[in-house]
Amino acid sequence: MSLMLNHISFKPTEEYHLNDISLRFDSGKMYTILGRTLSGKTTLLKTIAGLQTPDSGSINFEDTDFLSIPVWKRNVAMVYQQFINYPHLNVRDNVAFPLKQRKMDENLIEKEVQEAMEKVGLIGFESRKIQELSGGQQQRVALARSLAKKAKILLLDEPLVNLDYKLREGLREEFKKLFNVSDESNSILIYASTDPLEAMQLNGDIIVIDEGKILQTGTAKDVFENPATAKVAEITNDPAMNINKCLIQDNSLIMNDSVQIQIPDELKSVPNGKYLVGIRATDIYLDDQGFAFDVEISEISGSETFLHLRNNNLKCVATIEEVKTYNTNEVVKINFDKSKIYLFEESGDLRHSPYQQ
Amino acid sequence: MNFKHKYVFLLPGLIVLIGILIFPIIFTVRLSLSGWNSFNPGLDFIGLKNYIRLFTDDPRFWQSFFRLSFLAITTVFLQYIIGFALAHMVWKDIKFKRFFRVLFLIPMMTTPVIMTVIWRTFFHESLGPLNDFLSIFGVQPPWLSSPGLAKVSIIVVEVWQWTSFMFLLMLAGLLSLPKEPFLAAAVDGASPFKKFIYVTFPLMAPISIGAIIIRLIEASKIMDTVFVLTSGGPGTSTETSSFFIFIKGLREFQMGYAATASFTYLIIMIISLTIIVKVLTKVLMRE
Repeated sequence: MSLMLNHISFKPTEEYHLNDISLRFDSGKMYTILGRTLSGKTTLLKTIAGLQTPDSGSINFEDTDFLSIPVWKRNVAMVYQQFINYPHLNVRDNVAFPLKQRKMDENLIEKEVQEAMEKVGLIGFESRKIQELSGGQQQRVALARSLAKKAKILLLDEPLVNLDYKLREGLREEFKKLFNVSDESNSILIYASTDPLEAMQLNGDIIVIDEGKILQTGTAKDVFENPATAKVAEITNDPAMNINKCLIQDNSLIMNDSVQIQIPDELKSVPNGKYLVGIRATDIYLDDQGFAFDVEISEISGSETFLHLRNNNLKCVATIEEVKTYNTNEVVKINFDKSKIYLFEESGDLRHSPYQQ
Repeated sequence: MNFKHKYVFLLPGLIVLIGILIFPIIFTVRLSLSGWNSFNPGLDFIGLKNYIRLFTDDPRFWQSFFRLSFLAITTVFLQYIIGFALAHMVWKDIKFKRFFRVLFLIPMMTTPVIMTVIWRTFFHESLGPLNDFLSIFGVQPPWLSSPGLAKVSIIVVEVWQWTSFMFLLMLAGLLSLPKEPFLAAAVDGASPFKKFIYVTFPLMAPISIGAIIIRLIEASKIMDTVFVLTSGGPGTSTETSSFFIFIKGLREFQMGYAATASFTYLIIMIISLTIIVKVLTKVLMRE
């Protein structure tokens, strides 16, 4: 059983929302669509659900033409970024809603609802009104509703993005467990996210999408180690990978005239010329012998500090593994981990990855 | 703020309130205890005689009251159904949406009395265009002079005149609904019809109750339509409470008795509307 998308395009205005998307989703597997805001993730999910009709292309599921089936007959479940529930129903009735639409037996509905509520930890809240729940609980209700449905295709559109940090961490863990359980049910799980970390943690197949176009598909490890283009490298890292123009000349890599690094052995075969160099924020470290950069912004994130640095026109972000305060315009000396340097062609295609054999 | 004369500033409002609301009610109660009529004008005191007459010896008042209940409930029910249907129709993106929205509001913008005069001409048995048309089929129903059809005519005019108002309230309600539950319902397997039954209708319940109550109160005052269209006739077959009170008080000048009828009517209306609100809330909101 698989869901096939063939050349799906959707262009409501001047710009493509979906641009020639062809994908194959196999049942029992989990997929993460990773892309920035407005990259077309939600549109793609809505198209699969049937809330939106593409301009061209076809969708096939279990050998049926999916596009000819109206939304309410598709047997798809969807959890939205906003906590969408039925405000006029209590928690129990909310979860039971899709089952009631199928005219299932009352006892069976009760059983399924109980099961779904147990999975998401909502036992004891059955008769509460939706408005009386916290955001996290509301999202659990939406999740329980989609689980109770036992749909063949489960779509999750950034379900955690509107929750606070603590809840997000907790629910994400639960998601992983839930999805492992639902693996047995052979459903297709598609999870849209803007957060690379989340995508890596969920550990499914990753589909990187930008401006309605698929940039790369592959396993989390694959996408992380060998981003197909500089754009993918930016999207799949948080903070985004530092991509800068550079010149390779006589075994040294020159960025912005001022920063010159001796290139490692594995890069020596690269001919001289103009390239894009990519360095992860975590591969930049403080070094008294290094290059002088001005601090533009310094932000503390958890146990790390993100430094936005600038050296004339050369900008980069560095992650420092400790909490430290820096003043704006303070000069810091940094160096780059040469063994972790990515090289892209000027067109953006990957030329060299440190993980390449 | 501790200001000596602050209550003085409440006076204008208080005077208006007393002048147009509290005084008339108290005066009506006092009037209902008097035998004021064209022979004995003045506020004498006859005790509860008027009330005893109303409750034991005046079937006409009660008939007019039940007739009013029937007319009010029927017209408001029809207005609700039609108004909701029209509002639902122009709620979604359809062609000429704005045009229809304005079109459906036109009856409300007209003057009821004048429109009723036009309707009377329209329903006229021998000269009206309606019977002129129906004569093709060989029928000429007595729209205004048969007891049954006269009620139908009143219902038609009332529904025509006031469905716009219901339409306006329901459309405002529909437009204020959150969009998200509809998205969810579609994915959750609700067909358009089920979506209406399980999502739109329940979400509209509070607005529906408000709209129905507003219209019921208004409809209970049916007066101008009856006055212009049938004058309560034929006989008393389309006479409503307010028309009855009008006849007693301002035609026969039984001021005391009319006040009794008014006050009794007011009490009954307050009680019945309270009950109706409770029942509607229970039925529509399942609480």
